[in-house]
Amino acid sequence: MDPLSLLRGILDTTEDAARALVGRERIRLAVTGLSRAGKTVFLTSLIANLLAAGRGARTLPALSDAAGGRIRRVFIVPAGTETVPRFDPDAHLGALATDPPRWPERTEDFSTLSIAIDVERRTSLGGMLPERRITLDLIDYPGEWLLDLPMLRQDFAAWSEETLARLQRGMRAGAAAGFLAFLDGLPDDAAAEDALAKRGYTLYRDMLRTCRDVHGLRFLQPGRFLNPGPRGEAPLLWFFPMPATARGGLAQLCARRFDAYLADQRATFLDPFFSRFHRQVVLVDVLGALHAGEEAFHDTGDALSAVASIISGANWLERLLGAAPMRVAFAATKADHVPTRARDALAALVEHITLGARGRAEQSGAAVSFHAVAAIRCTEDAVARLEGHSVAAVRGVLLQDGVGATIYPGEVPMKPPEAAFWDAGLFTMPEFRPPRLDPAGVSGMPHLGLDALLAWLIGDAL
Amino acid sequence: MTVPDNRGGDSPEGLKRPRRIDGAPDEHRSDDAPDDRPRPRVMADATDGAAALPDAAAARPRVILDEGAKPTPRLDFGWDKAVAPVTLPVGRGWSSVALVGAGAALLVLGFSILEAGNFIAEQFARAAWLGGVTLAVALGGFGLVFAAIWREVRGYLALRTVDRARAALARGDAVELRAKLDAWQARLPAGRARAGDLGAAPIDAIVALVEAKMLAPIAQDAAALGRAAAVQAFAVTAVSPSPAADALIFVWRGLRLVRQVAALHGFRPGIAGTIALLRRVAVDAATVAATDVAVDAAVRGLLSSKLAEHVAGEAAAGAVAARRMILLSRAADEACRVLPRR
Repeated sequence: MDPLSLLRGILDTTEDAARALVGRERIRLAVTGLSRAGKTVFLTSLIANLLAAGRGARTLPALSDAAGGRIRRVFIVPAGTETVPRFDPDAHLGALATDPPRWPERTEDFSTLSIAIDVERRTSLGGMLPERRITLDLIDYPGEWLLDLPMLRQDFAAWSEETLARLQRGMRAGAAAGFLAFLDGLPDDAAAEDALAKRGYTLYRDMLRTCRDVHGLRFLQPGRFLNPGPRGEAPLLWFFPMPATARGGLAQLCARRFDAYLADQRATFLDPFFSRFHRQVVLVDVLGALHAGEEAFHDTGDALSAVASIISGANWLERLLGAAPMRVAFAATKADHVPTRARDALAALVEHITLGARGRAEQSGAAVSFHAVAAIRCTEDAVARLEGHSVAAVRGVLLQDGVGATIYPGEVPMKPPEAAFWDAGLFTMPEFRPPRLDPAGVSGMPHLGLDALLAWLIGDAL
Repeated sequence: MTVPDNRGGDSPEGLKRPRRIDGAPDEHRSDDAPDDRPRPRVMADATDGAAALPDAAAARPRVILDEGAKPTPRLDFGWDKAVAPVTLPVGRGWSSVALVGAGAALLVLGFSILEAGNFIAEQFARAAWLGGVTLAVALGGFGLVFAAIWREVRGYLALRTVDRARAALARGDAVELRAKLDAWQARLPAGRARAGDLGAAPIDAIVALVEAKMLAPIAQDAAALGRAAAVQAFAVTAVSPSPAADALIFVWRGLRLVRQVAALHGFRPGIAGTIALLRRVAVDAATVAATDVAVDAAVRGLLSSKLAEHVAGEAAAGAVAARRMILLSRAADEACRVLPRR
């Protein structure tokens, strides 16, 4: 930890203590998740249901019970002079409620929002003082960028070696054939030609896209190659992993851009948003990973554990300064895609897939728990007849054409399945239409398990 | 985007051929993804012509489209009703006491009018001028009585504006909310700042405007009234000769305070209105009650030392009474607010 960060940490800790003293706590809640894990919908549902709960609706019964029914009001903190765009829950809710409904697009940029929760004081003597106000800082961002965090502890040579080794294996090898052929064709002393750098970048980026979109892989770096954000594909991105034998100007150029890229990501992403938070929820589309095949399943686990090593892996000094999260919840999202009886298995599976990530969180002294949640419940339990047998299934309305369908999501194992399981092949879960929603969000939105997750995550702070 | 897959499944009775869902969504890919991606199986219950499956294949996930594959409405879990705030059941009809009271009032008033009518008729029989004077007296007297009743009813009904405006806000009914707020603004005392024409502003803006321009200053004035009452209550309790007198003075001052705060909000409740208002304040003050006991205990605790007892004496009780007045003004303001505090 450099002296500047230490000073900032001490100042932040002092501020936290002062806020707690006057009953104005601020909780930075990091909603972490790889791309398509459902962060935006999770935040939309969290905000809508919290606001509704503040109006007295029983949208989050477990949280309300955890707070002893002392939640008096919830409101969105008015905007200040932030330079970061504001997360717009109304627009997302409106899009989900409209007919035909639209799910949020891929998140392309940061957005933040703060929610204030006024609660009565716990003790009767505390009633002499004004109500406590807990401010929940939320942030939405492209999930792809999260994979840049592990790169911060590597130099270009180490990253290249690791990445190229990964490209030789499994499904990546097929997708990376074109890029690897290009690398083979490059002389070791290739000059720093922008045309070459750009060509290599384009091939590498396309390979990443294929891995993500076709094979369902998640451990794909650098994140801005897949989601360049509002600034687009700047020359900063024109680099690619190169073998250790490459020593020419091109290799040096790529190394320089690699360093500049990381410095930029550190300045715009890690330091402002991920250097300090109090609670963390890690969202995992474990069912999607399961359906995308063995390699994608393990790849998701690897990606999560790599990210956790940066985010949750705090040292003793960071723990002392309160810069490490005290509670980390791992949640399998889209739990409504499996019938009720399979949801416990989903939570158990997320415990296994996040084994590496959990270990690091626990090492840093955080309490961890595992959940299966659906930020918006889109299905109901049903029974399907398959091969003459009745099986538990879910029923929903398909997004595309509004046709009702019963989906048998397959067996959900409680631990990483054996080899025979993967013989069932791949499956893509269709997207469902959200249920009927009130566009004004007066009653929040139907969910599964969100209240229990929040109760565990922030219930003690209320 | 997706194609049927008829690799698996026996053919049980009533099964249909696999059907294609064009453009079935795909969470893992973008639209420009190449065509060699894995295909999800989209099936209509099962396939025909397929061989018997091994067990593993039987567990394959699959999508079974509804019969006829017609668009169906979105699911409705009845969420709105399930999470609706718990409200106490509203009493329907009149209570027995109210019926007795209304009956007695009708009897008294009705028979009085009949009696007066008979008396006027008798007076006219005696002399026309005597009849005229009696009629004038009766009309004047009953007019005043009915004017008082009308004022009571108006004062009572005015309080309902608060409920209606809040209900309109909860429903998101901008038109109704605007109408109620306009009516409420018209009733405010002269000199009080008004939000003016609320026009076609969205609900959020209306609420923010009314809060900033009208409700916040009213709340400040209510707090000032509370402080003034607190000073009086403190002084009176500290010097009054008996606890019974304390209680009487406190009740009278509290009642006056509640009516003063209501007047700030444009309500001038009569007797019935005051009773209704007190009931509302009691509900809003329910949370205050626990605090009250705690404050009392704390103040007495702090002043329980021998020295403090001598110095402070009954001032401790006065401090509690004063604190109560401040809380009462806050609860009364809360009860009269045409929009709930944000």
